[in-house]
Amino acid sequence: MAIPSVARRTISTPIILALILVALALLAVASGSRPFNQTIIDVFLRVILVVGLYIFIGNSGVISFGHAGFTCLGGYAAAWLTMPPMMKETLLPGLPAWLMALQLPFWAGAIFAALWAAIWAALFGKILMRLSGIAASIATFAMLAMINTIYSNWESVTAATSSVVGIPIIRTIWPYMIAAILAVFIAWAHAISRAGLALRAARDEPTAAAASGIDAPRERLIAFVISGAVMGMGGALFAHSIGVVTPDTFYLTLTFTTLSMLVVGGMGSLSGAVLGVVILSSLIQGLRWLEAGITVGTTTFAIPNGLQEITLGVVMILILVRRPSGIMANSELSWPRARPEKPGE
Amino acid sequence: MKSLSKLTLALLGATALVTPALAQDDKIVVGFATAESGFMQAYDKPAQDAAMIRIAEINAAGGLLGKQIEVVNADTKTDRAEGAKAGLSVIDAGADMVVVSCDYDFGAPAALAAEGAGLPSFFLCAESIKAGIQGVGPNSFSASVLAAVQGATMAEWSYNKKEARTFYRLLDTWTEYNKGICDGFDWMLPRLEGASLVGEDTFKNEDASIAAQITRIKSLEKEPDAIMLCTMMPGAVSAIKQIRAAGINSMILNGSGVDGSYWLSAVPDLSNFYVPVQGSIYGDDPNADVTAFNAKYKEATGGDPSSQYVYPGYVMIDVWAKAVERAGTTETAAVVAELEKMTAEPTLFGPRSFSAELHHQNSADYRIVNIEAGKPAVIDSWTISEPIPVADLMK
Repeated sequence: MAIPSVARRTISTPIILALILVALALLAVASGSRPFNQTIIDVFLRVILVVGLYIFIGNSGVISFGHAGFTCLGGYAAAWLTMPPMMKETLLPGLPAWLMALQLPFWAGAIFAALWAAIWAALFGKILMRLSGIAASIATFAMLAMINTIYSNWESVTAATSSVVGIPIIRTIWPYMIAAILAVFIAWAHAISRAGLALRAARDEPTAAAASGIDAPRERLIAFVISGAVMGMGGALFAHSIGVVTPDTFYLTLTFTTLSMLVVGGMGSLSGAVLGVVILSSLIQGLRWLEAGITVGTTTFAIPNGLQEITLGVVMILILVRRPSGIMANSELSWPRARPEKPGE
Repeated sequence: MKSLSKLTLALLGATALVTPALAQDDKIVVGFATAESGFMQAYDKPAQDAAMIRIAEINAAGGLLGKQIEVVNADTKTDRAEGAKAGLSVIDAGADMVVVSCDYDFGAPAALAAEGAGLPSFFLCAESIKAGIQGVGPNSFSASVLAAVQGATMAEWSYNKKEARTFYRLLDTWTEYNKGICDGFDWMLPRLEGASLVGEDTFKNEDASIAAQITRIKSLEKEPDAIMLCTMMPGAVSAIKQIRAAGINSMILNGSGVDGSYWLSAVPDLSNFYVPVQGSIYGDDPNADVTAFNAKYKEATGGDPSSQYVYPGYVMIDVWAKAVERAGTTETAAVVAELEKMTAEPTLFGPRSFSAELHHQNSADYRIVNIEAGKPAVIDSWTISEPIPVADLMK
């Protein structure tokens, strides 16, 4: 049986990544600081989103600028499903009656949000996945612009550009940690699956893959739908992390932050996706603390405001100069004795 | 690779050791979860400076409940997710009251964090009804006046003092604030006997040209007496310029969002232009204390107030401190109860009222600033004849 052995050979990667995430969660709990806890929740959210991006971009080689759109779909779906009906009546009067009356717990909302995003990923993907290369990238961007425009203007259902509030806020770290670990395992399972392997083959050798009977658009669509679902789940949890959603949260800034974390970590590697987030987020947080000022003895040491963004840019350039294909390039974390290898290869 | 992740963890661990100070009993802490960078900083900073002036005054007079007021800050970076963190930071630093960004959208995450921790929160100068009970929760307040009151004030004042009978309504659909001004105007208009709406139109703040809208105003049989212009910076300047360039000389009624003289050079010799303000930054407020405050503000910050949005910061600390004094504690329920008892509570910038259903002002004593030949001056004061009912505000 080939498949169990592939799973056994590569299972160490998601386990190590999950352990890193658990360690972060424990660190947050041990610190006892609410803002630090929230920072780690943010890290987990970004892990979910960047891993979601990796599922599609890493395996297909097609850069997508549109995945923030699925996060938007997920975030608003969570709002529709989990807000108290009374708040919905005033803020979102255009919702259908059954949805208006519905109030699900946050985890159920997140599951449906993921499904909702997946449905739209399937609809869009059916058309877009016939394209490849830069044409596909631009088409995904057009999809993001469409989603953003609809959500910014559909007053009665999305409250247009106004903030949607009343989404239950979840401040405990565990649901976010579990979701991030779930995303890592979904990405791993997809990567070692037949579809994931076929997609990577089509990425590296399109002609040979086609000659071997691989239907590249179909394999791309599968990855697109799975990554759309993960992004939708991330969007839903994002909504629960601050309790507010607006369309501009899920637009260009989010697109480029998540993409740059994936590129710095290593586009073709699941470990890269997770480590890119963890390393860049730690750097951002460290610099923010320095900006706020750290007291050593009687003197307070602080760096000028804005230096955080500059330093972050410089560090990202340095990493990419030293390692053009990202920190992890195409390799994965695995147990020391095992040969470093990519899941499924 | 593992050493790298260990390094990361070590870095996180080291920075986590910088834990915030805990609340102490010998002082009262006000936490500012406001923007110190990003575009909201331009709105938050002036109001926060004014709040600091009131805090300094209270401390100089012996403090609050005999304790000094201390301030802790956290930067929201004009970002919602950072806003939530900033809110939690000041709460961890022992804040007894949390001050959040001027704008509802950007202040809400921090205000929700305060609400979740059972602490009172104040929006520095948000003018949407959502900035309070309706959009955050029972412990949240706004220090400014509802946008709707501005529209209603201008309609009633121009009807009574300028004999305006025909109105044209021009709405910039960009923000809640703009819509709020026009909502208040819409509420007031049917109450003015003989006043009529001769036309209405919308535009977007970013529109480079509003020629189509202007053509429709020009094609009216008679120029309207007044144009209710519900917009804000930066688009307001271009709209005003185009209206006047087209030869439309009707009086233009506005919300407070266009207060300030910084943009007047862009529309030379602007006349017949009216703005409601909570206090005058031009040194001619009928209340001498306002002018004295302006001088104090200049002394503290090195510049004159840029617009009336400085004032709510001062009012905020003023009413909160009074509530704390009366409650004899900073405990949330007691302070909120005292705030809700305030009816026409006098402040430097007019009376303020809060109730169990509205933590915002649905009526206010406005100064009317008239810009004539490019020179702004206070010409009148006006309070709407009845407060706007909450039910109408929620529509």
